[in-house]
Amino acid sequence: MFRAWVQNMMRPLGALWLAVSVVLLAGCQVLAPAPQLQLTFMAGYKPQANLPFVGVYVAQERGLFQKEGLSVDIQHSGGGADNLQLLVAGKVQVTTVDAAVLLQRRADPGLPLVSIALIGQTGQQAYVAMQASGMRTPADWAGAKVGYKGAPPPDLYAILDAAGVDPLQLELVSVGFDPHVLTTGMVDVYPVFKSNEPDILAREGHVLTAWQAADFGVPSLGLTYATTADQIANKPVELAAFTRATLAGIEYASTHVDEAVDVVMKYAPEADRAHMRYMLETELAAGRPAGGAGFGAQTAAQWAALQAMLLKYKALANAVQVDQVFTTQFLAGK
Amino acid sequence: MKWSTAWLNGGVVLCVLASWEWWVRSLDVPVYLLPGPLAIATAFGMHSRGLIVGALVTTGEALSGLVLGSLFGLLLAMFLNFWERLEPAVMGVALFAKSTPLIAIAPILTIWLGFGPAPKIVITALITFFPVLVNSLTGLRAADPAVHAVMQSWHASRWEVFVHLRWRAQYPYLLAALKSVAPLSLVGAVVAEWLGASSGLGQLMWLAYNNLNLPLLFAAAVVLSLIGSLLYQVVVVFERRLYI
Repeated sequence: MFRAWVQNMMRPLGALWLAVSVVLLAGCQVLAPAPQLQLTFMAGYKPQANLPFVGVYVAQERGLFQKEGLSVDIQHSGGGADNLQLLVAGKVQVTTVDAAVLLQRRADPGLPLVSIALIGQTGQQAYVAMQASGMRTPADWAGAKVGYKGAPPPDLYAILDAAGVDPLQLELVSVGFDPHVLTTGMVDVYPVFKSNEPDILAREGHVLTAWQAADFGVPSLGLTYATTADQIANKPVELAAFTRATLAGIEYASTHVDEAVDVVMKYAPEADRAHMRYMLETELAAGRPAGGAGFGAQTAAQWAALQAMLLKYKALANAVQVDQVFTTQFLAGK
Repeated sequence: MKWSTAWLNGGVVLCVLASWEWWVRSLDVPVYLLPGPLAIATAFGMHSRGLIVGALVTTGEALSGLVLGSLFGLLLAMFLNFWERLEPAVMGVALFAKSTPLIAIAPILTIWLGFGPAPKIVITALITFFPVLVNSLTGLRAADPAVHAVMQSWHASRWEVFVHLRWRAQYPYLLAALKSVAPLSLVGAVVAEWLGASSGLGQLMWLAYNNLNLPLLFAAAVVLSLIGSLLYQVVVVFERRLYI
């Protein structure tokens, strides 16, 4: 009896709910026209406050893409090179990739990668030692255990070269991705992402000494927004809209850090907010180009210097044409 | 295997490889998305030394972990055979160890055991011990109840029942577990190396993948599959010898 009464009451309520939903949806359609342009962006790692990721998150949340008439599907890579495979397969139109990796993959196996904006104006990596170790310069690394991830990177050799240290004087050790191999004394020098591990270790009370390639005049660049030559030919309007919106998002984040961190936390709810803030502030500092240029600026001189360094330390299979690895056609003022 | 059967199977494999090569060439599939068999064969030639060294390292770690894990699983099964009341607690801990994602514990093991082969061996042992434990325990309890009743009527001790009845009854179960975990041990070693190592096929595959050198990645995978097949066949031969 009661069940029949409830069912009788629910039927008209359900119809009313449906009608209201249709009207509201139609209203939304009228107020905000559906974007005509579509694009898939894949961040090169999990959701976090890497500056190029933040640019996309902020552009999405503040409606900057929508203002450009662009709908962006945001995806995240699990690390590795799957984002590059998906990019060259055309499943993704823009991804983030380190400038040195872009050159390396362009040279071998010949991926047609093109940087449309250089977000990290200096390299992402640094080397740290416990301050208590007494190491002050890379010259002190002689005889030490120095860690590397995967393969010894060229900037390590460049730093050693600049400091006049023979690499044979060190013991190079392949380390994983847990920085505690440094704090437990398993290695003396550990490679870090500047915006990540130093903060993690500092919060645990460890005092570190850090060195980065740029300190020794070694050219290094950070993350880029990368696409392919095919995408530039086929989707120039979408790429221009994406670049405008994301660079505006980064500019906004640079003056509204707390708000930008709030946005990041929507994408990375499990992340530590203070750590995300550290990451964002560190990358903002490394992202502002010299000479007053806007975020994303890149020049042939920067790419040529990076290529020369990679070639010098045998980290590049062969030289590539620098003017083909980047374009400024989507940046403001072009 | 008869010669005609061998030719037939060889022919099928060759047809598959030829079709694969024709397909990637005719569709012009880039080598960084899917390499053809010829590109993989070329990678074998170019990186033969690295593949051989890596195979030796990984096989050594896998075999060490396999022996360690299997012995541990077997001993635990024997222990539970005599102390059945402890089974819920022991199996609970074993399930916890089995269910913990290796990716989470690999860095901790490195900190505890160093950068050498020890953490890789422990991870492999963690992967292999559980199937051996479960199968051995099942086998120990699968002894013929009629024979068991006869032994009990002879006042055989629990140890005598174990040695003369249960131990033999678990052979097929143990061998089935070993056939399953022998190739699996390679997966454990490779996963551990993938997460940080100075050598081994896992490290080679990690570098190849990050450099998008897919021919080398596939070549290493082929080497792994050959070693896995070899380990499986070793157990099969051992099984045959045991029953002939």
